[in-house]
Amino acid sequence: MIAATQGNAPIPPDELSPGHRRGWVRTRVRRYLPAALLFLSGLVLWELIVRVFHIKRFLLPRPTEIIGVFGREFGTVTAAGWFTMREAMGGFVLGAVAGVAIALLTSRWTLVRDGLMPFAIAVNATPIIALAPIMNNWFGITNPMAKMSIVAVIVFFPVMINMVRGLSEVSPGNLDLMGSYGASPRQILRRVRIPNSLPYVFGAFKVGTTLSVIAAIVSEYFGGSRDALGVYISQQAALFHFAEAWAAILVASFSGIVFYLAIVAIESLVIPWHASIRAVADT
Amino acid sequence: MDGRYSHPSFVARLASAHVVAPRRVVRSDNLPPMTDSPAVAISGISKVFESSSGRVDALRDIELHVTQGEFVSLIGPSGCGKSTLLRLIGDLLEPSAGRIEVNGTTAHQARLNRDYGMVFQQATLFEWRSVIENVELPLEVMGRDKAERTETAMAMLDLVQLTEFAELYPYQLSGGMQQRVAIARALSFEPSILLMDEPFGALDEMTRERMQAEVLRIWAKTGKTVVFVTHSIPEAVFLSTRVVVMSPRPGRIAGIVDIDLDQPRTDDTREATRFYEKMTEVREALRGVQAG
Ligand SMILES: Nc1ncnc2c1ncn2[C@@H]1O[C@H](COP(=O)(O)OP(=O)(O)OP(=O)(O)O)[C@@H](O)[C@H]1O
Ligand SMILES: [Mg+2]
Repeated sequence: MIAATQGNAPIPPDELSPGHRRGWVRTRVRRYLPAALLFLSGLVLWELIVRVFHIKRFLLPRPTEIIGVFGREFGTVTAAGWFTMREAMGGFVLGAVAGVAIALLTSRWTLVRDGLMPFAIAVNATPIIALAPIMNNWFGITNPMAKMSIVAVIVFFPVMINMVRGLSEVSPGNLDLMGSYGASPRQILRRVRIPNSLPYVFGAFKVGTTLSVIAAIVSEYFGGSRDALGVYISQQAALFHFAEAWAAILVASFSGIVFYLAIVAIESLVIPWHASIRAVADT
Repeated sequence: MDGRYSHPSFVARLASAHVVAPRRVVRSDNLPPMTDSPAVAISGISKVFESSSGRVDALRDIELHVTQGEFVSLIGPSGCGKSTLLRLIGDLLEPSAGRIEVNGTTAHQARLNRDYGMVFQQATLFEWRSVIENVELPLEVMGRDKAERTETAMAMLDLVQLTEFAELYPYQLSGGMQQRVAIARALSFEPSILLMDEPFGALDEMTRERMQAEVLRIWAKTGKTVVFVTHSIPEAVFLSTRVVVMSPRPGRIAGIVDIDLDQPRTDDTREATRFYEKMTEVREALRGVQAG
């Protein structure tokens, strides 16, 4: 690094990054091995506790029982998962697009922004999910739009609020520079404000993935199509089929995690320079 | 080319930098207008910052004329308003009183004319842009086509010896390297006036001397006007045609030292007796400021 700062013999960029190919696999293993081990021993412990203490199966079924459900009901459970994930993802896209669009509009009319933001922050702090029965009423209980609209509203607010922040919380030095180039507000929006807002937006997207899965399932608890995961969970629980309910919950968790990781992957493609990704990449 | 540039690759790079971007020299749209109007005429400038925590008298009654092609350094204790003065010239701040004329027009119009190349105390790179994209940014804003942008940016990176790092992101560079990118960026669009706020503060001594020589070379070749803030007496004396010594609270001009050392300045300049005499002159002016 000393040579590089003196500028006499710059180090080739390749050698600057510690992540050489060979070490990559090893660091990944070292990173994820503890979590994997903990997960497995957790399952074993769960199984043992339930067996040793004779815990009633309606309180907590054994992991092997839940795995057994996947053997019998795999098609039903995954189809229900896919049905609900389509609602979650559809609502997510609607909410995210609307959030980004409104945020961009308010960057043009800051008066609108200043009027809108207090309400947005207030609404965002309310339990929007409570609207689920109303939406069921508006759209019809089996219409996926009823669930998607709830998801969209829940995803909209954090995306909009964070994007507005990202568009306005720009480094003053960067604005000064653009000013010294005689840049127009439009150029500043495109070259400074929007790139600056991307980490904020992706932060909101990541929160949005979990929120959208929760919102879809919970609004299905208030009633919906027989093909939906939330409906399946509540029906199985009502019939004391707790292993089935747990299996469906596992499907929901797994889908939520995959959704989240998909956004993380897109984030690392779109904004590779961002600090949080950089920190992960370096460990 | 003097002895300092004995590193062969540097000589080669410099030569190629000139071959690659002949347009920079020929192009005339950003050269100073052919008038006798001073590059910067500051008359009766005061600046007061008002905030909830009180008033700060940052500058009072500043008079300063910088002629075309001059190299003026501002030196003074921390907080005496050097950065503020530079930002006023660059139309990034409004004066509380007084007038600033730049190239025969207002500072505001000069900014819209893209007369200023600015380098701040912090590198202020755009963290989502690679090194070369940072250098290309002003050209992009000014609507130059892609081929010209890349060509010019590479030539500028050559100048600051960062071509190998063109595709890296700012966080992958040291502080000194980031500052060199900022300098390359300020030079890329051939502004007629360079406003530089302690641009070499983050550099090691050897790089610093090389960058000083670079700036002098560019200055001599292009006839730019430079207003340069520094804390270093040797740096101010080595670079400048005049050194403006400022006093704090409120910031005023306490004295101006003419640096009539021979041009071009070389390594020998740093060892000349006259150089030391001038350093002493500036130092004494500064000492008077700090005692008062
Ligand atoms: N935006 C601002 N709001 C309020 N006060 C300010 C502002 N900018 C500068 N000042 C005040 O103005 C004075 C001059 O600041 P300035 O940054 O110009 O000093 P400087 O000479 O560049 O110092 P340094 O050598 O440490 O960079 C300081 O007292 C500072 O606190
Ligand atoms: Mg300063």
